[in-house]
This record gives sequence, C-alpha cells and structure tokens, in this order.
Amino acid sequence: MTEPPATAGTPDMAANAGTSGVAANVGAGGVAANVGAGGVAAVAGAVWRQESARIVGGLLRMVHDVGLAEEFAQDALVAALERWPVDGVPDSPGAWLMTIAKRRAVDHLRRTTRLEPLAQSPEQAPEPAGDDVLRLMFTACHPVLQPEARVALTLRVVAGLSTTEIGRAFLVAEPVIVRRIAGAKRTLAEAGVAYEPSAALASVLEVVYLIFNEGYSATSGDDLIRADLCLEALRLGRLLAGLAPDQAEAHGLVALMEIQQSRSAARTGPAGEPVQLHEQNRGRWDQLLIRRGFAAMLRAREAGGPAGPYVLQAAIAVCHAQARTAEETDWARIASLYDALVRLMPTPVVRLNRAVAVGFARGPQAGLDLIDELRADARLTDYHLLPSVRGDLLRRLGRLAEARHELERAAGLTANTAEREFLLARAAVLPEVGGRSLGEATAEFLGSPGVSSPATARAYGQTLSRIARVLGERTPLSELTGARVHEACQVLWADAMPRGWNRHVAALRSFAAWADVTEISGMLQPLPVTSTPAAGSATWTDSAPLRERTLWTMVRESSAPITAILALDVQDLDLDDRRAITGVVSWRSATARLLTELVADRTHGPVFLSERRPGPGRPAATRDLCPVTGRRRLSYERAEYLCKQATGGTLRRLRA
Amino acid sequence: MRYLMLQKAHGAAPDEKLYAEMGAFIEELTASGVLLATGGLDPVGFKMASAGDELTITDGPFTEAKEAIGGFALVEVRSKEEALELARRFRKIVGDGETLVHQVFGP
Repeated sequence: MTEPPATAGTPDMAANAGTSGVAANVGAGGVAANVGAGGVAAVAGAVWRQESARIVGGLLRMVHDVGLAEEFAQDALVAALERWPVDGVPDSPGAWLMTIAKRRAVDHLRRTTRLEPLAQSPEQAPEPAGDDVLRLMFTACHPVLQPEARVALTLRVVAGLSTTEIGRAFLVAEPVIVRRIAGAKRTLAEAGVAYEPSAALASVLEVVYLIFNEGYSATSGDDLIRADLCLEALRLGRLLAGLAPDQAEAHGLVALMEIQQSRSAARTGPAGEPVQLHEQNRGRWDQLLIRRGFAAMLRAREAGGPAGPYVLQAAIAVCHAQARTAEETDWARIASLYDALVRLMPTPVVRLNRAVAVGFARGPQAGLDLIDELRADARLTDYHLLPSVRGDLLRRLGRLAEARHELERAAGLTANTAEREFLLARAAVLPEVGGRSLGEATAEFLGSPGVSSPATARAYGQTLSRIARVLGERTPLSELTGARVHEACQVLWADAMPRGWNRHVAALRSFAAWADVTEISGMLQPLPVTSTPAAGSATWTDSAPLRERTLWTMVRESSAPITAILALDVQDLDLDDRRAITGVVSWRSATARLLTELVADRTHGPVFLSERRPGPGRPAATRDLCPVTGRRRLSYERAEYLCKQATGGTLRRLRA
Repeated sequence: MRYLMLQKAHGAAPDEKLYAEMGAFIEELTASGVLLATGGLDPVGFKMASAGDELTITDGPFTEAKEAIGGFALVEVRSKEEALELARRFRKIVGDGETLVHQVFGP
C-alpha cells in the first residue's frame, strides 16, 4: 500500500480475480433464503444507504420537490421489504428500487392536474446519476434554509440516515429532527428555489464541514454515532469532490477532513483527556488518511485558482502532517498560511489560531500581541481556548503567575471535564498569585454594609460577576487596571442602552470606591440618557445603491415571497396600479417612486439585475437576461449577501 | 468501520468487458468515499517464519494458484450488511470465485 488509491478505473481487483473456478453458491435467491426476513431488512437497509442519494436525486429531477422525491423513494423501500422476503433479493437491488420509485413518481405526475401537459417523459431525459446527486446536495444545502435545517436534510436525503440516527448524533430529540426536516422541505417547496450550483457550493461545503465538526468535537465517546458523523462528512465530501472535480475548494475540504480525521486515534489520551497537536503520538496518526489528504490537496492545486479558505486550512493541516516530530513543524510556513487565511476569514477562532502559529514562528511576545488584540472581541468572552493559549504564551515568556491565572480561568470556562482537569494540572505547577483576588473582593463587597438593600446587592452582583468572568475570578486586585476594566466593559456592554450602561458603571464605581481602586472610576463615565430609539432598519435608505433601495423597500412594502419579487420582469409591472400583472406582488408609494427610477426606459427583462453577465460556464435562461445589456437576474444569494453587508440583517428581517 | 476484502487469484485473464465494469465499479466506490485503498498482489512473494531465535525465509509461491490472494480492497462502510452488499456486487462483476472479507479493527 505505497500508492494512493486510484481515482479512475484501474482495475487492480479485476486483474487478479478469476472468471472461472469454484462456483459461488451465494446467489441472489440464496441470500434471501439464508438470511430470512430480518436479514432481508438488513440487506434493504444497506442498499438504501448506498443508493438512496441516487434514487432521491433521480426523482428530484422528475418531480422538482425534495419532499415528494423522498416519499416515493421510501415507498419503494417499503415495497422492497414486502417483496424481497418472498421473491428474493433482486440481482441489482438499487436498480429495482429506482424502477419502483420512478413508477410511483410517474403515477403522481399523471394524477396531478397541470394545465401544461408533461413537457417530456422522465425516461426520455437520461442524465448521469452524478448530476442528480449533485443537484440533490445543492438543493438540500440551499441558502434559504437555516444551517441546522441544511445539515439535517443533507444527512437524511443524501447520506440516507434515519431521523433517529440524526437525533442521536446531534443530541436532539427525534421529533425535533422530524419537524426540522419537514420544515426544510416545505421551505424549499414554497421558495421554489432555483438551482444555481456555483453560487451554492460554499453553502454545501459549509454543511459538510459543520457535520464533520459536530462529530469531531464529540470527544467523550459516550455515543459512537457522534464520532461516526466525521466518517459521514468525509463520505459526503469525497462524493462532492468527485462530482465537482474542477472545484479546488471541494478538494481542499476533503484534504482538510482526511488529515484531521487521521489524528482521531491520537487526539485523546487514555482517560479521555484531549491531547494537543504538538503532544500527540504521531505514530498513531492514520497514514492512509494522511496520504489520501495529500492526494486531495494535489487535486485542489490541479484545479487551480486562488487558494480559498478550505485549501488554506488544508495546507496548514498538510504542514502538520508532514512534520515527523512536533519540533520539525514548519511554523514559519504555517504562520504565513494563517496570514493569508485571516485575510479571507477574519473570524476570532482563525485569529486565535494564527496567534498560536505566530507565537511559535516569531516568538511568544509576537503571539501575545495578537492575542491581546482579540481580548476586546465579545465573541470570545466565554471561549476557553483564548485564556488557555494566552496562558501558554505567558508561561513561555516567564510571566508564570499571570500564566497560572489564565490557565485557571480557561479551566473555569470549559465544559469538558477532562479538559478542565488537564488545564488545572498545568496551572498547578506554576507559582501562585499573591494577594486578594477579584472574586474574593467582590463577595466581600456585596456583603459589606455599604451595599444596603438586597435589590442593590443583586444588581451589583450581576454586573460584578460578569466582569469577574471576563477578567478571571482569581485576578489579584492589585493587578486590576482601569484600562483592563474598561476593555471588559466594552466587550460586555458595548451595545447596551445608556441606562443599562450607567447601571453597570454605577456598580463598578461603587465597588472601586470600596476597594480603593480609584483608577477604575476615572475610566468609566456614564452616558447621557436620551430618548432616541435604537438605530433601526431606516439607516440604509440613503447610502445604498438605487437597486438595493428599491428591492429592500419593496420587500418591506409587499408581503410576497422574496423569490417572487426577484422573479419580477419589467413587462410584468403595472406601475400605475402598483402591482405586478402576475398578481403575487404589490407595493406602495415609496417603492413606486424608486421603481420608476430603476426601470427608467427598460421595457423587458428582469427588474433586478446583477452587475455581471453570466460567465461562459454558467449559461442562464433567456428570461433571466436583460435583452439590452445581457446582465443576468439578481440571484437570491447575492441579494441576501448585499443586504447582510449593508444592513447586517437578512432580507426577511427587513419585514420585522 | 473498515473491512478488508481479499480476492483469490485465478489464472484466467480478464477480458475487456470485465476491465470496463471493474473500472466503473472502482471509480464509483472511490468517488462515494467507500473505497479507501485497493491493489493487486504479486502471487509470488516470500515467507518469513520465526521459531525461537531462528528466522527462515522462503521464496514463494506457496499455495495452489487458486488459493493465493490476488488483490485487496479496503472499504469504509457503516455495517457488515453494507460490506456484504459491496462484496456481492463485486462477485457479480468478476464471476465465479471467492472473496474473503474481514473487519479491520481500529483505528
């Protein structure tokens, strides 16, 4: 096994398998006879797992509705469970299921009373099964769905898991999953979503990686199915990369997951405690998966294009996998990859990991500088890895007392018992911090005569405990600076209304006076209380381009589905009656004003146009193109993106 | 869970059709992420035996041609039934013969 597995047909198995010799006596009928009814159910289950995506995908092409497609596929499975114990398992069980399911779908299409006759019989439009599966994946991961709905629907219809299994994997009751999947199917049916592969690829990748991480974070091992999610995600990723081989990011994601999964045996110790990457026994890494990861990485490079987030993360994983010992790790290269990644994905977690890499590549002080920029980020307030990493960097700088304090704070934030004990053990070997701590002082203050009523004590207690959580209970009072307290307040309450902010300031000032840390009071100033309402959705009206203003106003003034609004054509508009002649969309005066301006002298084509013409690889239907400029219709994803960029909220939220 | 499938070798040369079907099968399983590794084995090989401090090396071949292992496939599946289904599809393509299937423990 020195070669990576073949990606195309290299029939090694065939070359050495005979075509004559001892007759096999496990024929198709033999299986049924030998295994009995329960065994047939198991066979049917196995076939279902392997074939359901192709079957549901094929049906989706016929009926254009995921819910219906899955229903017919399930009908076929039920038929199999009835027929197979009697007739024996057919020679090609997958094809058998497909035939039955298609028959149901054709019956359905005949029954439905459509005005238009069926344009083409489904059998007349043969398409490669791969396209069907790809369409199914993109539909299940459509951006109109919430991420959790995408995940559940993908596991159900693409991976073929049961709702029971999905519920167990995500620690959610089965009825919740059933509702989530039903809701997702309904949303898709109502939105009548268009199929736009390249626009939605990012969404599919995200779903696959979410599934992987859900399994990867399940270190406890109390239910193996959670860890099995990693394998499920790997399978989905490999499937996706096989179906979209020209997409570098798909290969990048596969490489990333293969290499992460290769460490699964090494990342927990005997007691279930997490083992950090640089302390793992590299001999326990799965070399088969590493090699597969490298191969996927090569395919990503071959696909070309600028490196996206998954390719960059995979490249980082490759660096780690290439180092035979932790000391051999090429931190300089990893740090520069993180520099590139942080430009594409400036998320707090990526920045934190970058700080770790920089800490190794350019010294602990450089890492610490990056970490301290992150402490102002509210999203990381409760994230235990921030103090944990900071503690390590401080330890390497010889600031041992501070390091101990940070490690203890990290221990207080993690929910994982094994990890907490691990952090406390590392803190315990460092020298203790002297003096009275913030936590002790807070408790003392709340019980002091200065805090008169129980109501005051409760209000002060809430403020001070939040502050102590951010700064750390064990922080010595002597190290408390006004700047640090101010920073913590900004993290916690930057968005608070003036009255709320002033309540916190009052509590802190009172505490500062009692504890004689007067520097704090100087840094914290109450805000003037005005009656201005919170900045609402009206803020976008002037700065945004005309097209966006028109769309958003129309979304607000009309109750029509957003997809229906985007589907409007100029010739559909009845500008005088303020409604579309197709009947679904109507609007009021503000939209009418903007619409006149937006349409100008156009007479045909989509009302809302994108800035671009379709690329050579992405032909668009004529009705989605402006007859004059050739620009294509604005897609839902793009419209949603622009709205989020400008207003911070989704299009739907404009109606709230 | 992983299963190792071992194919017993045969003297008869595979024909074009078998090559094509097998190629498509392997391609499908690779793309769907089931097939982790596969390869053909040289039926000759050598054998190393230890007894006490003694190591003995014998050059192959050792068994009758039809008992020798000619190829392997390592697959990642969710259940024994899935492994069985894959083996069944494989046997249908290659015709008469034997496949040994073992679950691989760990990692």
